[in-house]
Amino acid sequence: METTLHSLYLGFSVALAPANAWYAFLGCLVGTLVGVLPGIGPLAGISILLPVTFGLNATQAIIMLAGIYYGSQYGGSTTSILMRIPGEASSVMTCIDGYAMAKKGRAGAALCIAAVGSWIGGSFGVLVLTVVAPPLATLAIRFGPPEYTALLVLGLIFLAYMSSSSLIRTLLMACLGLLLGMIGIDNMTGHFRYSFDLAELGDGIGIVPVAVGLFGLGEILSTPSADAVKEIISPRLRDLLPTRKEWREAALPIGRGTLLGFIIGIIPGSAHIISSFLSYALEKRVSKHPEQFGKGAVAGVAGPETANNAASTGAFVPLLALGIPTSPITAVLIGALMIHGVSVGPTLVNEHPDVFWGFVASMYVGNIMLLALNLPLVSVFVTVLRIPYAYLYPLIIMFCIIGVYEVNNSIVDVWIMLIMGVVGYALRKFDFDPAPLVLGLVISPILEQSLRQSLIMSNGNYLIFFSRPISAGLMAVSIGLLLLAAYAFMLKRADWRAKLAEAEAGEAEP
Amino acid sequence: MTLRADHIAGAFFVGFGLLVIALSGDLPTGTLSLPGSGFMPKIVAGLTIFFGLVLALRARESREFVTLPWGDAKHAALVVAITAAAIALFERLGFLTTNVLLIFALLAIIERRRILPAAIYSLGVVLITYILFVYVLKTPLEAGPFGF
Repeated sequence: METTLHSLYLGFSVALAPANAWYAFLGCLVGTLVGVLPGIGPLAGISILLPVTFGLNATQAIIMLAGIYYGSQYGGSTTSILMRIPGEASSVMTCIDGYAMAKKGRAGAALCIAAVGSWIGGSFGVLVLTVVAPPLATLAIRFGPPEYTALLVLGLIFLAYMSSSSLIRTLLMACLGLLLGMIGIDNMTGHFRYSFDLAELGDGIGIVPVAVGLFGLGEILSTPSADAVKEIISPRLRDLLPTRKEWREAALPIGRGTLLGFIIGIIPGSAHIISSFLSYALEKRVSKHPEQFGKGAVAGVAGPETANNAASTGAFVPLLALGIPTSPITAVLIGALMIHGVSVGPTLVNEHPDVFWGFVASMYVGNIMLLALNLPLVSVFVTVLRIPYAYLYPLIIMFCIIGVYEVNNSIVDVWIMLIMGVVGYALRKFDFDPAPLVLGLVISPILEQSLRQSLIMSNGNYLIFFSRPISAGLMAVSIGLLLLAAYAFMLKRADWRAKLAEAEAGEAEP
Repeated sequence: MTLRADHIAGAFFVGFGLLVIALSGDLPTGTLSLPGSGFMPKIVAGLTIFFGLVLALRARESREFVTLPWGDAKHAALVVAITAAAIALFERLGFLTTNVLLIFALLAIIERRRILPAAIYSLGVVLITYILFVYVLKTPLEAGPFGF
């Protein structure tokens, strides 16, 4: 514990250095804007701004990009509450009761509860990250290929199981992502795969062009400007403070959202999205007045908003301790560190303590900055929302092109982004969620390599995944989740996920 | 039989899986104890075909194909065409010229905005972005034949 406190002191000395604090502030500000603006989620935002960090050192780069990530979680709630448009995917649940509160004249209170809940969730996450990540990194040194394989398989199955759409659709998207991730030179044999004699495809398809195409451009293609006009409710500054009754109603959901979000955040998958959905379902279930959900229930804002921020922080645990990207966003963050010559994994904490602890400490600082930014400046962010969409989306397209091109100076990457934009548009038409595709692409190289290494280690014996305690435990959880899904399917019974999806569909109707 | 969205989606994924297997012909599958470069792609392609079939077989839960809303398709096609033109010109004309043309075209052709405001807006935002990236953030942007 003493070592942790000493390391944290080192971290704060790094994070509070004026230049680093400035980049944390910049990241939080840009992240809030990214979250506020519909159409650019955190993934597209981070990808587009990745080249901006090339001139910074590794610590400043990760501090700024992480600021964008958790800043967007804060900002997403503003659009959800004031416009009933989720600024980013994890804010979908906040739309329902947040907008209903705004309609009742409680927009300020909803924004305040969302900001405070996000701060508590985020800060708790950082606190646990501080304590858990270093010992986990020590344990992770014992992770071999079978453990990595089992953990990644669990991540995919967990994502599919938790998806409120269809298990098959999620798995199909993940398969598509895995296949895209196999394009390029095979690391173990040197064979070129599916590169069609294009030298640029030798290194494979990058995460940035795919993510920006699917989420940035794809969203723009699906949103004609005529459809983007929405009524915005402006909160008054004096109405920002919730009443005592509202605080009481928010307290327990914030506590539950914090724990739930952090636990889900640790598991690979789009944790911040899943956690907000689950938190909403949990709050509705435990509420004494479930009929108030959809009509402005405080718990419907406090729980999901807290959970998605706690999950965003929780996602950094496997990233920093194991070097495993648990989501497309953390994969881009790993990419950013690699560009700066820092390899993420169990050795990070010992080899680059300034980066590791500086980053952790910057999250404490960043969460306080976000609280200070999001409440007093809410009217400024609302002004941004008043820019006509017709003028906004050409700018976003320009930033998509710059963002993708600048990563590798490759025009092929920009073409891939355009193709992925069209794919994203088509996927939305056919009700597919593109997030598992990006996750599949992210984990594809690690999953393939660890699976093949495991088989080589065991001389072709699949039982290796069940003969080692950690991988056996992870595989058992995966099998359990599959059995639960199969049970619900065979009984033709709507389990809690289907019921939640129905509830969302019903309540999302205007 | 009514053609549904998931019939089309399922058929696409089955076809895609088969295409991947066909393209993997020259990749060695190897053995379980020494998997080759074609091992994983073939497994995942097989899973894609399987899930695609399941999706198509359960298609009656999905919407009828003819009811899919395509009202935004014209907007999407125009945005794709203009963006494709911009990408094709990007390395020839450089950042400034290409993006001024891109934003102007999107505003004037798709959004039907008046020429002068569209031109001023395009030039203004691209110049600000250029100054921000090149001089403030020290990130070089693609130069055109005139050096910018």
